[in-house]
Amino acid sequence: MTLITLLIGLCAGILVGLLGIGGGVVLAPAMVHLLHLDQHAAQGTSLFVLLPPIGIGALLEYRKKGDVDFRAGILCAIGMLLGGYVGGLVAVPMPTVRLTQLFGVFLMISALLLWGKASKPARPAQPAISHEGHA
Amino acid sequence: MNKTIGFFLAGIVGGVASGMFGIGGGIVLVPIFGLFLAFDQHKAQGTSLVALIPPTGLLAVIAYARAGYVYWITGALLIPGLFFGGILGAKIAKNIEPRRMRQVFAVLLFLLGAWQVFGTWKR
Repeated sequence: MTLITLLIGLCAGILVGLLGIGGGVVLAPAMVHLLHLDQHAAQGTSLFVLLPPIGIGALLEYRKKGDVDFRAGILCAIGMLLGGYVGGLVAVPMPTVRLTQLFGVFLMISALLLWGKASKPARPAQPAISHEGHA
Repeated sequence: MNKTIGFFLAGIVGGVASGMFGIGGGIVLVPIFGLFLAFDQHKAQGTSLVALIPPTGLLAVIAYARAGYVYWITGALLIPGLFFGGILGAKIAKNIEPRRMRQVFAVLLFLLGAWQVFGTWKR
């Protein structure tokens, strides 16, 4: 069980770096289906896992290529702190089955967003006021 | 100024998703950066990682922990894999055109979501 848990972490971690996400989107279902936690416990545990700066190694890799906007990220983080509390208050009293269904719908919407962005061709003509070139 | 508000609002949306679904929020932030704030894909991903560095889920964790929904040991075991996996994933991402990979992940995510929804009907 310990080994499985460590491996789940590694797989989710690869997604952290690959897609710039926290990994919770796969951690929570993995804990439900492989470790048999219920949906609430999986979500609470996933949030705890994401508290330490697990993405910092990945972030430094992106920074080497200048692919980071720190100001935007920090502004976002402030919003997330507040939004996270609201989301937690909504989810905790919800029945587990309802929360599981909602999570599933959320995953499907996320998938569509990801696909939509992915299939959009890169625009060749950038406006003249583009940001500074990468090194 | 508009962009400042945009970043903050993106954070709120990501945060609500984070607290409700126990996720980091990056899965929402990356598309928002790309679709509404005109970031290219690599920059959207790098910036999303910045937003995930501070313990933004702290208030949400407190809400879950009060209800007894946090498994501390399981959580602690997941952390090292996430950290090292993250570096590995970022090294891979820098060297590939990530469109195909994102589409594969989108399909997996969709199936996972469908499984969650339909799985509840058997109970």
